[in-house]
Amino acid sequence: MTELYSTPSTALSRRTTLRAAGGGTLLLGLGLAGCRSAVSEAEAPAGKAGTGPRRGGTLTVAVNSDFTPSLLFAQSGQSLQHRLIYNTLTRYDDRLRPQPELATSWEYAQDGRSITLKLRSGVTYHDGRPFTADDVIFAVKNLQNPLRAAQLRATAAAVTGFEKRGDHELVLRLAHPVNNLFDLFEFMIVTDRHSVEDAVAGKKLNGTGPFKLTKWSPGTGLRFTRNEKYWQPDRPYLDGVEFRVVPQADALLSSLRTGQSQLSFSVPGKNLAVVASTPDLAISEYTTGGGAFYLGVNTTVAPLNDKTVRQALAWAVDRERILKQVLGGYGLASATPWPKSSPAFSETGRTHYTYDPGKARELLKSAGHSRLDLPLLHINLPGDTAVAEAIQYDLKQIGVQVTLRPTDPATAQKNLIAQKMPGLWAMSHGFAQVQPSTLAVSAYPFNEAKNTSKFRSAAYTKVVREAWTTPETGARANTLRQQITDTLLDEAFIIDLVIRGAVQVAAKKLHGVTLNKFSYLNLDDAYLAG
Amino acid sequence: MRGYLLRRLPSALLVLLVASFVAFALLRLVPGDPAAVLAGPDASPETEAAIRTRLGLDAPLHTQYLQWIGDLLTGDLGPSYAIGGQTADLIADGLGATVELTLGALLFVVVLGAAFGILGATSRNRWVRGTVRALTTAALAVPPFVTGVLLVLLFAVLLGALPPGGRVPLLTAPDLGVQYLLLPALCLALPSAAVLGRYLKDGIERALAEDYVRTATAAGVAPRRLLWRHALPNALPPVVTLLGMQTGHLLGGAVLVEAIFAWPGLGQLAEQALVRRDYPVVQDLLLLLVTVFVLVQLLTDLVHARLDPRIRWE
Repeated sequence: MTELYSTPSTALSRRTTLRAAGGGTLLLGLGLAGCRSAVSEAEAPAGKAGTGPRRGGTLTVAVNSDFTPSLLFAQSGQSLQHRLIYNTLTRYDDRLRPQPELATSWEYAQDGRSITLKLRSGVTYHDGRPFTADDVIFAVKNLQNPLRAAQLRATAAAVTGFEKRGDHELVLRLAHPVNNLFDLFEFMIVTDRHSVEDAVAGKKLNGTGPFKLTKWSPGTGLRFTRNEKYWQPDRPYLDGVEFRVVPQADALLSSLRTGQSQLSFSVPGKNLAVVASTPDLAISEYTTGGGAFYLGVNTTVAPLNDKTVRQALAWAVDRERILKQVLGGYGLASATPWPKSSPAFSETGRTHYTYDPGKARELLKSAGHSRLDLPLLHINLPGDTAVAEAIQYDLKQIGVQVTLRPTDPATAQKNLIAQKMPGLWAMSHGFAQVQPSTLAVSAYPFNEAKNTSKFRSAAYTKVVREAWTTPETGARANTLRQQITDTLLDEAFIIDLVIRGAVQVAAKKLHGVTLNKFSYLNLDDAYLAG
Repeated sequence: MRGYLLRRLPSALLVLLVASFVAFALLRLVPGDPAAVLAGPDASPETEAAIRTRLGLDAPLHTQYLQWIGDLLTGDLGPSYAIGGQTADLIADGLGATVELTLGALLFVVVLGAAFGILGATSRNRWVRGTVRALTTAALAVPPFVTGVLLVLLFAVLLGALPPGGRVPLLTAPDLGVQYLLLPALCLALPSAAVLGRYLKDGIERALAEDYVRTATAAGVAPRRLLWRHALPNALPPVVTLLGMQTGHLLGGAVLVEAIFAWPGLGQLAEQALVRRDYPVVQDLLLLLVTVFVLVQLLTDLVHARLDPRIRWE
């Protein structure tokens, strides 16, 4: 139908449109120009360019999960803030030798049943109260409390007596010798005994550390300011630290690339290649291990009750591929749980199982199987799913059809503790980065008395118990560690795959950052260069 | 009216009661519990049991339920199990952030929707019309998680003009807050702005084809006046209704956008609480949503009853 009337000329003219667009842009531009810039605000320039440490500046750390105060005394996913607010008694160096912190010196009794600690004097809590031996007594007793969920509770529980010799000397008496006492001292933050319940409720965190917590906004982050009365002279250099919670991996990467944050330990392996190509960022790896991916096996489910079948699975997985694809090459493909810094590490152990599908098939055949169907539970997060899919692919090559069971973290954790795992599961564990006995005593998957794999062996129990109570140096200690490693490799109830290194992504202008063995961030010497 | 309100109240309270029961029961039916999460992957069953006792999770379910309802009635939402802090504070903070994001997005929806609609309907330049059509199609077709990443890449990584994520509350520092708000609000607004723009364009085109417009044109009314005083007001009512509906979508969509831009709103809180099985936070959040819904329904019924007396006597 032909329109009788033309459309009325209501159209906006080009001039009007341009005027409107120009006006809008100008308004926005003027508005933003008059403001502080959120981008430069976040960068917080630290001073003039030059070499050497500089005082001042605020460091922003991007974390992918928030601080959980109820897990203050357990090794949780996010423990970075612990060493900012608190101190520990000692700290390990790179070769696992304890160095002074709140304890300045120590002496073991000949029989190994007590240790005398000299404590640092002149240390005060953020509220001004002096630190004394009573605080150490409280810290140990606090970890003995099962409600604190401290993984090193067994070691804390071995301390059965306290003898105070003044405010700054303390003797800890042990029920039996233990060789991982310094693991406990590295792990145990010394909190204010008068406000510990407030601390686990997230209301008041009072420590002796280099920074005071000034604000915690759940889901958003934490803010710290320098402790002007810190016991280390002229430290810390930084005015403040801010933790910013950025759960989404791409957003976290953007935060680093744009300079909104200058440090993170949460960049997934798949994103590390992008970081490597960003000129202002540097990647460094802590070879002490930040945990390890493993394939767990339920030894009560046929045919996995046959260790030949379990060994076949151990030969079938291509660890190097997982390391490359999931962790971006940062870590260590290893058949044992031990990182290179561990006294139990050996290259022979690490390469005991390599990728050999032919051998895996042979072993399966010798056990009377050519085809198996097995379920595999894994956590439904991207990294864990990628590991599970890699295992599924590899096992398929030897005739083992794996059905994946993606499970949310809470359910997976529940099943793990309740020993309700199916035939196979893929998860990660910690505690191999310190004294080897700690892994077998404190990490539930490896526990000799009760573990998820339902593996029991009198020989394993004996060697673990002896390894725990034998002095950590000497030929006997080495023999016992080797026996633990041999048992783990031979029985293959936990098949270690890849040790994750703690990977630090930092702005190149940031210097002096370290982590302790339990991933507590140490910024005593950190500074932002100009 | 008071009588009508009294008649409606029991059913509203019943809905809340049923909702509280469902929220409580559903969480317990989902495998995994907060004690296991708190205990961690290397903990022993004894540790987990001790934590369960501390949280009161080993009490009979009806006791736990009554305890929760009792606390709610006394206005005490209690502490969060896993996230930390007080549940009431967590929800208040999250609510503030989500409302701020939604209002920011709503502003974008109105401005962009109006621009799309008016330009699309009135421009004589086919390039402008084509561009508007392409933009609205893209805004509708591309999901927010892609738009979000692209916006961050362009404005934060390449141009370095805006922060890639996080939040500074508008009331605390408006100049910084608005910069943090721009990208997530735009990302959240784009699909709704496209829908609104298309509705508005159709509405204006329909209005411009009406007889009264022809008459006004014949009478010599200026084209601009014709658009702003006659066509646009007539095209607006259905668009306003749509805007109301889109506000609901914005609130729902905020969950995803909050994750992309690390915006600490209710969506992030709910996700975090659910993953960690933080029962009090999830229960209270669910009940809050139902309460809001019930209140809105009640308010709507009251307005209807006010407008139409017959409803009061039904």
